[in-house]
Amino acid sequence: MNGASVTETDLHAYVDGALDPERCAAVDRYLAGHPIEAERVRAWQQQNEALSALYHHIGAEPVPPRLDVHSIAGAFATSGRAWHRMATAALLCMAVGLAGGWIGRGYWGAPDVGQTPLVNEAVAAHSLYTREVVHPVEVGADQQAHLAAWLSKRLDRNLVLPDLRPLGFSLVGGRLLPAQGRPAAQLMYEDETGQRVTFLIVAASDGHESSLQYGQRDGLRSFLWTDETIRCVLVGSVARDRLRDIATRAYEQLG
Amino acid sequence: MSALLDEIEGCVPALRRFARALTHDADLADDLVQDSLERAIRKRDLWRPTGPLRAWLFRILVNVYRNDLRTRRRIAAVLPLYARPSEASVPAAQHVRLALAETARAMQVLPAEQREALLLVAVEGMSYAEAAAVLGIPSGTLMSRLARGRAALRRATEEGPPRLRTVK
Repeated sequence: MNGASVTETDLHAYVDGALDPERCAAVDRYLAGHPIEAERVRAWQQQNEALSALYHHIGAEPVPPRLDVHSIAGAFATSGRAWHRMATAALLCMAVGLAGGWIGRGYWGAPDVGQTPLVNEAVAAHSLYTREVVHPVEVGADQQAHLAAWLSKRLDRNLVLPDLRPLGFSLVGGRLLPAQGRPAAQLMYEDETGQRVTFLIVAASDGHESSLQYGQRDGLRSFLWTDETIRCVLVGSVARDRLRDIATRAYEQLG
Repeated sequence: MSALLDEIEGCVPALRRFARALTHDADLADDLVQDSLERAIRKRDLWRPTGPLRAWLFRILVNVYRNDLRTRRRIAAVLPLYARPSEASVPAAQHVRLALAETARAMQVLPAEQREALLLVAVEGMSYAEAAAVLGIPSGTLMSRLARGRAALRRATEEGPPRLRTVK
């Protein structure tokens, strides 16, 4: 390697100790002949040293009890059990209610969120817009920052547009829609085969969180969940496992 | 499951350090870590332990921090981690301490995204790939944040009082 092929990234990697010895030696040779760059690199090294001096010791402090991982997990397990007891009681009440004459109303069957109003709206919006070729979205992925800021403002929630590229889906864009009488954000992603999935997101503030709930209707699959600040429905016709992977990743990034 | 908790526990000191360096506020930093741990523990059933745990925890912390910035707007008016030494302080260590104080101050006025990138790489010792994964950005974007952060820190510290120069 000759000196001319040293890149800006090499210089950073040199400072951060991320170069192998051979490349490191090449940067050394390059810096010997480029005093301005050498001075810049020296300043960066001093920054790294200063940052270490400022912050490194914090990692050696004793951890306060409120950050004890096992106690936090224990607290959740307890509240989980309390919730289970309540749920059991609620089920008993419901069983009594059913016996008392609810049977005829057709409330049988496995719980399927396919009929939840928000899911219905998400499915309808998905069907309507994923078929659009010319205007599938209002704001395209080329204006991603604007899209995130705009939808965040309208929903009054900090929306991070999930990065689904590791799963093979890239952002097409998004739009604003009404759902349940409130502003809702629809985000659309597609894979390299043009298969599209959409998210419908509304603000939520009841503080209830839920796990992913699966639903299926009209040949479309959906996952619904509620986070601390948002309710979200993911809709698509991709396989259930793949849809769940997408939901999980988005769940992690959105809230 | 307990093994996963142990592994999470092992990351707590680094999470605290990162949070403190982000906020320069010890209480707020521990609040962020606590929120992050609660989220992580609640969501651990959804997280399939295939990827690196540390990156996942830091990603949660970054998200919590950003949400917090937005809701509380507690950014700039923070307590200084290191008070500025007076001009009359001990001469021997003065330059070094000045350089540290300058750096601490410069870090606080850096845009959050550059501060995050710098801390993950320079203090947490993450590889560029891991830091980019934490921030959910391509590595090219990470490099440009790092470069801008370093340039801004350099401007800020060189405009300040003369600092110690190490000559090799």
